[in-house]
Amino acid sequence: MAEKDVEICFKKETISRLLSSFFNEDRTKLSGDATLLMAEMLKIFVQEAAVRSQKQAESEDCDQVDIEHFEKILPQLVSSLTGSTKYSF
Amino acid sequence: RPLIDRLKAAVHYTVGRLCQKIGEDHRREFSRQVIAAIAETTFRQCDVFAKDLEAFARHAKRSTVNTEDVKLAARRSTALSIYIQNKSEELTQEQRDLKKKGTGKRKSRDTEEDSRE
Repeated sequence: MAEKDVEICFKKETISRLLSSFFNEDRTKLSGDATLLMAEMLKIFVQEAAVRSQKQAESEDCDQVDIEHFEKILPQLVSSLTGSTKYSF
Repeated sequence: RPLIDRLKAAVHYTVGRLCQKIGEDHRREFSRQVIAAIAETTFRQCDVFAKDLEAFARHAKRSTVNTEDVKLAARRSTALSIYIQNKSEELTQEQRDLKKKGTGKRKSRDTEEDSRE
C-alpha cells in the first residue's frame, strides 16, 4: 500500500453536517475554514487516541490494541485536549 | 434518523483507516471493538466541540462559527493550539495566493465531494 500518497482525513462535508447536527440553534452556521480546521482537529484527536492506545498495548506486551488499552488512556486524552473527563465506557 | 447513522458510519470509516495506518506503522493491529470505541468517542467529542463553538460565536454576536472560535476550542492544549494556528495561517495563505493569481476562484466552501465511503 502507498505510504503518504493519500492523506487520510475527514471529509469536509461530513464534519460540516456532523457539527451542524449538534448545534442548539438552527441559525448557527459553520464557515468553510472553520470546518476545515475542525476536520484537522478531529483527525488529531483520533491519532492521539490511537497512538496512545497503541503505546499502552505495547507497555502491556499485547499483540493487539484493544478496548481496555483505549479505556486506560482515554481520561488523560480527553482532559489534555478539552479539560474535561466526562467519558467512560 | 438515517442522516446521523450515515455520519457515524463516515466517522467510523475514517477512524478505521487512521487506526489501520497507525497499526501498520507500529505493527500492532487495532481490534474492531477498539476502532468502534474510538469512533464513538470521536463522535461524542464532536458534540462537545459543536456546543463550545456555538457558544463562542454567540458570545461574539455572530451566528457563523469562524476560525477564531475553533482556536478557542483548542485552547486547552498548547500543542493543539499551535497546530491549529499554523493550519489556520496555511489556509489564509492559500487563499491569498489564489487571489493573487487573479483566478477569482475562492476555495469553494461547499464542494460537492465524492462521498463514496
